[in-house]
Amino acid sequence: MIFAFNNSSRLASRRKREKAANFLSMAVLVVLGAIVMFPIYWIFRSSLMSNGELYAYPPAFTPPNWRFSNYRDTLEVFEYWKFLGNTMTILVPSVIGAVITATMGGYAFARLRFRGKKILFMLCVGSMLLPSMVTLIPLFVVWAKIGLVNTYWPLILPHFCGGGAFNIFLIRQFVKTVPRELDEAATIDGCGYFRILVYIIMPAIKSAMIVVGLLKFIELWNDLLQQVTYITRRDQYTLALGLNIFKGSFNDDWSSIMCATCLSFIPGIVFYLIGQKYFVEGIVMTGMKN
Amino acid sequence: MTVKPIKKLVKYNKAETRTAWLCLLPSVIGLVCITYLPMIASFALSLFNWDGLGEMQYKGLHNYVKLFTSDTKFYSSLWVTLKYSFMSVTLSIVYSMMIALLLNRKIPARSFFRAIFYLPYVLPAMAVYLGWKWLYDFNHGFLNYIVRLLGFAPVKFLDSSTLVTPSLAFIAVWLSGNLIVIFLAGLQNVPRTYHEAAEIDGANAWQRFWKITIPCMTPIIFYNLLMSLVSNLQVITPALSLTKGGPGTGSYYMCFMLYQQAFKSHKYGYGSAVAVVLFILIAIFTAILFATSKGWIFYEGDDKE
Repeated sequence: MIFAFNNSSRLASRRKREKAANFLSMAVLVVLGAIVMFPIYWIFRSSLMSNGELYAYPPAFTPPNWRFSNYRDTLEVFEYWKFLGNTMTILVPSVIGAVITATMGGYAFARLRFRGKKILFMLCVGSMLLPSMVTLIPLFVVWAKIGLVNTYWPLILPHFCGGGAFNIFLIRQFVKTVPRELDEAATIDGCGYFRILVYIIMPAIKSAMIVVGLLKFIELWNDLLQQVTYITRRDQYTLALGLNIFKGSFNDDWSSIMCATCLSFIPGIVFYLIGQKYFVEGIVMTGMKN
Repeated sequence: MTVKPIKKLVKYNKAETRTAWLCLLPSVIGLVCITYLPMIASFALSLFNWDGLGEMQYKGLHNYVKLFTSDTKFYSSLWVTLKYSFMSVTLSIVYSMMIALLLNRKIPARSFFRAIFYLPYVLPAMAVYLGWKWLYDFNHGFLNYIVRLLGFAPVKFLDSSTLVTPSLAFIAVWLSGNLIVIFLAGLQNVPRTYHEAAEIDGANAWQRFWKITIPCMTPIIFYNLLMSLVSNLQVITPALSLTKGGPGTGSYYMCFMLYQQAFKSHKYGYGSAVAVVLFILIAIFTAILFATSKGWIFYEGDDKE
């Protein structure tokens, strides 16, 4: 009896302490979350103010007048839709190519037996550690020789080549979780390896394929270097390049620059909201496998 | 009596092999043509002088000699790259581990918070750096408003060679949402039973953190450390979008130097030499990490000592 009583009181105090700790973590998270969100808020707030209002001291924390018309004015000088269209012309095929080829590669590594698999897999995983910067100059030279600089091909075609070692690896981890019995049942029913991939594996790893697509999307979205290297013609500019030029020509017009910045944020945020659930799931799967 | 191990005779199914190679064809082409061959080509190219148009002139190790003996900018470049990488890697790892630990507790609206800390990572880099340029602005930036409120004179965050590295590293920390998610996934795999057992034995939260959580997390810490080191040593985006290598050589990172030499000055050979040095630098760091990893990485089910 006494023992039981002791135990429950200890449990109660432990619960109490845990509650206090959770409350404290929550408080810290709220503060840190506010700090992390603040720059985005500040950029947004700046986009809704005139330059006069922006240069006032002390700065206003909320826009004195919500000048949504700033966006209309900015859209007149900043070719947002065109730049966005150009960006998507590169991104959409690249992402599709990466997802398809990474899925094929990941499936082969996870399921099929063939000579040379181990070495190939090692070469593949090892390439994750190789700095991609080192390939920049030779690849540029080759693309220039073929005469495809200033087209989108150098930005798109490489993603049809496996979509990057990390993505192949990610797909492989997912395929490994699909029960082999499914493959075997399909084999008995007369399915070949390729049909197993299409009808059994792909439906089962749909979420992984979405993760690969989203990760690729972010990667390319952020990849300023490749765009700077291969695109020099203004009518081919992507959002990032367009933004860069826009900043150059509207040097101190921070109000317009912040409008353009916010406009560039939007597609990223939209894609993230769509894919949030898959992101976490996908990373849980790969993070573990050292 | 010793039994000779029977040699495994694996018969490879023909159809299986064919499908495998077919599936791997794009990846193999990628590995060969856009990873390994260009890497070798970089080594080769670094032995030549070439402006991209005229004759290639074989110069042996001349480019390297020039880098290490007469190009003072190269040493600055090496130094700022190391400084930036060290700062942003350590700070991002500590920051994201801390956030992940907080997010791993039983708190309401967890996925909402996770989304908040991840959000900066999905924003396009160019826009992010532009936004931060405004926050760092000397006259009207928010951060200098704070600096003034605290009673100091405004600071040139991006235009001072001492502050540019911490300022850019700070943005890198802000962008490190992907590390948080990976840490969080790792934390969720730390067996609860370990904690419960330790608690019964009287270990307090602090002891449990250092004796259970951290050891169980070492593989993940290693992964994050390695990956962010490799990517941070290749830093170029802030220099391309904001600082253009300056002030002085304050953000003249090795990749930026490579880019400038190859694509602005059309010295492809010299740029390739920079690339090769960078490659070796990254290889050294990777090797050090792997060599020390046996000492501090704890794998479950691994009976050490």
